[in-house]
Amino acid sequence: MRDTEDMDAELEFDEGEEPSFSDPEDFEDDISDSELLGDILREKPQEADGIDSVVVVDNVPQVGPDRLEKLKNVIHKIFSKFGKITNEFYPEADGKTKGYIFLEYSVPSHAHEAVKNADGYKLDKQHTFRVNLFTDFDKYMSISDEWEPPEKQPFKDFGNLRHWMEEPDCRDQYSVIYDSGEKTGIFSNDVKEPIEVEERARWTETYVRWSPKGTYLATFHQRGIALWGGEKFKQIQRFSHQGVQLIDFSPCERYVVTFSPLMDTKDDPQAIIIWDVLTGQKKRGFHCESSAHWPIFKWSPDGKFFARMTQDTLSIYETPSMGLLDKKSLKINGIKDFSWSPGDNVIAFWVPEDKDIPARVTLMQLPSRNEIRVRNLFNVVDCKLHWQKNGDYLCVKVDRTPKGTQGIVTNFEIFRMREKQVPVDVVEMKEGIIAFAWEPNGSRFAVLHGESPRINASFYHVKSNGKIDLIKMFDKQQANSIFWSPQGQFLVLAGLRSMNGALAFVDTSDCTLMNIAEHYMASDVEWDPTGRFVVTSVSWWSHKVDNAFWLWTFQGRLLQKNNKDRFCQLLWRPRPPSLLSQEQIKAIKKDLKRYSKIFEQKDRLSQSKASKDLVDKRRGMMDEYRTYREAAMKMYQEQRPLRLELRGGVDTDELDSNVDDWEEETIEFFINEEIIPIGDL
Amino acid sequence: MKPILLQGHERSLTQIKYNREGDLLFSVAKDQFANVWYSVNGERLGTYNGHSGAVWCVDVDWDTKNVLTGSADNSCRLWDCETGKQLAMLETNSAVRTCGFDFSGNIIMFSTDKQMGYQCYLNYFDLRDPQQIEDNQPYLSIPCSESKITSAVWGPLGEFVVAGHENGEINQFSAKSGEIVKKIKEHTKQINDIQTSVDLTMFITASKDCAAKMFDTTSLDHIKSFKTERPVNSAAISPNMEHVVMGGGQEAMEVTTTSTRIGKFEARFFHAAYEEEFGRVKGHFGPINCVAFHPDGKSYSSGGEDGYVRIHYFDPQYFDFELEA
Repeated sequence: MRDTEDMDAELEFDEGEEPSFSDPEDFEDDISDSELLGDILREKPQEADGIDSVVVVDNVPQVGPDRLEKLKNVIHKIFSKFGKITNEFYPEADGKTKGYIFLEYSVPSHAHEAVKNADGYKLDKQHTFRVNLFTDFDKYMSISDEWEPPEKQPFKDFGNLRHWMEEPDCRDQYSVIYDSGEKTGIFSNDVKEPIEVEERARWTETYVRWSPKGTYLATFHQRGIALWGGEKFKQIQRFSHQGVQLIDFSPCERYVVTFSPLMDTKDDPQAIIIWDVLTGQKKRGFHCESSAHWPIFKWSPDGKFFARMTQDTLSIYETPSMGLLDKKSLKINGIKDFSWSPGDNVIAFWVPEDKDIPARVTLMQLPSRNEIRVRNLFNVVDCKLHWQKNGDYLCVKVDRTPKGTQGIVTNFEIFRMREKQVPVDVVEMKEGIIAFAWEPNGSRFAVLHGESPRINASFYHVKSNGKIDLIKMFDKQQANSIFWSPQGQFLVLAGLRSMNGALAFVDTSDCTLMNIAEHYMASDVEWDPTGRFVVTSVSWWSHKVDNAFWLWTFQGRLLQKNNKDRFCQLLWRPRPPSLLSQEQIKAIKKDLKRYSKIFEQKDRLSQSKASKDLVDKRRGMMDEYRTYREAAMKMYQEQRPLRLELRGGVDTDELDSNVDDWEEETIEFFINEEIIPIGDL
Repeated sequence: MKPILLQGHERSLTQIKYNREGDLLFSVAKDQFANVWYSVNGERLGTYNGHSGAVWCVDVDWDTKNVLTGSADNSCRLWDCETGKQLAMLETNSAVRTCGFDFSGNIIMFSTDKQMGYQCYLNYFDLRDPQQIEDNQPYLSIPCSESKITSAVWGPLGEFVVAGHENGEINQFSAKSGEIVKKIKEHTKQINDIQTSVDLTMFITASKDCAAKMFDTTSLDHIKSFKTERPVNSAAISPNMEHVVMGGGQEAMEVTTTSTRIGKFEARFFHAAYEEEFGRVKGHFGPINCVAFHPDGKSYSSGGEDGYVRIHYFDPQYFDFELEA
């Protein structure tokens, strides 16, 4: 056909008419421009090009043309840190810059960096830059005028997080890590034997921690921390912090601080992160040079503040904003150590000698920053701060070298926090100090002093009349650690690790030694939160054999020996503070006889039940065994002829079955030796 | 009652055995000697001299005529019990680890270690055929290619041998065909010792996995388990009470890190039916390597790493003691 057409065309051409090159009238172009010219079209300049790399800077000084050049230089210097600035626009009005400018970078990521780092930059007293992405304006403009309430997230019910407190027999729980870390178990403490509540393999990769009020169990993993709780120990929260090594809780359990040495970058401090426990949000990140003294951040007892010490600086932050209190840190030259009172928002810190200025200990009230007490100390070598559990007393252990001598002498400066003007009393110690511990809830303290093997234990009472009395001293003790009961009055003096586990149970109300015992190679001592029981344990981390934990009463009576394969760690679950008021507690103590009757009855019933269980179990085992033995004996009797044959007819089934075999023999036994001198012969 | 202390060995004990009637106690040690003592007063009868290496095992036949010993000097020797004369010496290619007379006293078995390229073998000799002894040709020699045999005892009628292996397995080897008739694996580590009850119906195994277990000899049914925290070196079943005694130790490397206080290595008594420990006897200065009950059940003996054998006669309270049930 084509040939014919062409021929027709040619014919037409020959006739002198120009052929028509236009499309036939009903031709529809079904090929679009983008298909044909896509690559060229793509390069067509777009209106929105470059918008993602533009930032808007507000609060820029409004200057006239004379200072404009200088302003541009300053801006350039500040903002070219984040990338190459390809374009800038300084809108003007009335001869001055408007106060906001536009900067364009070559790529959007530089714009993001600028926003992140320059937003909030203080140029001078009156000008703090606000930096935003240009595209943000679009976003904020397109927010609908109608406010819609945010969608409700489904309520994640974790059950009663305090479930363990409702245990009818008031058993405390404890976590046990064994099988060299492979298994973690939660047990309920019963006098007869631990009751297993939960046991999971590989629950944690290193160790576990309870939160301060016992609500959560924290486990460690390569990717972060997980929190578990409730009746079934469901996972409540997860915090992603790669390579996490250490954690700390705020006393109110609202915040968790995690540390990982891996995550720190110069621009993005991620070594220490503070998280909100309930929402799981990252609240703030911090740098950390070394984790040697964990926790780096120390919390005030009510959780409102947390502080850390760096070179010559004390930085105090407030929650929930996570910002510096009063927007600045405290400059304290030479600050060596600080700690919060466990009872009030008071920080104690000490500064060593500086040329003519003596060393001093300062007590500072927060948030007012009032110095409520300052104490000068002379010839100080070192200080250690020891707070009593309720913040009633502060003991500063001062090591000093008195003028003219070579040796180190130790004093205890006791600050009475509850008295006006915070009076300070001094107790001089003649020997080197090995350990010091305040009585929780009380006004006594115990000191271990001396040098091995002559170690002495002294007990002091801080009296309200201004005196500090030495109540008693025990000498030649095998101890290197003091463990007070959390309720006070009782304590355990322990010689851990190198001292082979010597234990002494003391009642400090009259300073009597209730019991002396030993748990060979014990590495840890843990009181339960009520002060009724003590657990001593030999951890696999310090000793590879005999790994076990033993349960004692507070008086030192051994109740249980629990051997656990490669046992590593036992931690009691803390209890939240009592909900009863002081009056209610007093009333219960008065009426104790009535309550104890009920419990004694229960105890007797459960004891007899335990023996009944054991007896039943034994009966079952014995019956099984006897049945087996009967069957075996039957077969034995059936085989008797074979036995006689094998031994040539001699009956050897019983020892006395062959009486002919018996011989009578006289044997001599050496009884006694006596030397009788006969006299002269 | 004060124990009788037998000081006759210069090095650690490897095995002790009573004869059937219980009047004699045989002890062998790493010092190359085998001793025999009167069990009633601890007086030594004599010594079997001849081995040139540690003696690992000893057995005496039912009639107390012959004594069999196996040693690291690659020989298993037969002795006349009364005179001490060596009657026969069977040379092997590697150390003899365990040996025993069968119920009739006519057939002996012994196993050799896997050493220096030689496999572990279980050998059977018939003493009624002097040719076998002369030619040193066992009528049956079974190789064990996998885990070597660490302890073995005869079955009740001389039909099979129950052997414990280094990997915790227990096998029943027929004495006629050499086949493995039955096999079980209840332990996870080496079986250090196997001892039968006096009527040969049950046996107890002592293992490095810190447990001792009781089995029925014929069916190899697992009857009881006794768990401790230390490796168990030896265990024995009481002939007249429902008790078992166990002696153990710890890894040689850890000896100095655990309690080295004098005499703290204990023999532990368990109730055979309840699997509960009810008593301990202290006295040895090192890990206990072997224990044995006297056939009348009125006393027991233990041999330790310290080179001492202690014979203990039970107080009357031992026989009256009962766990509440």
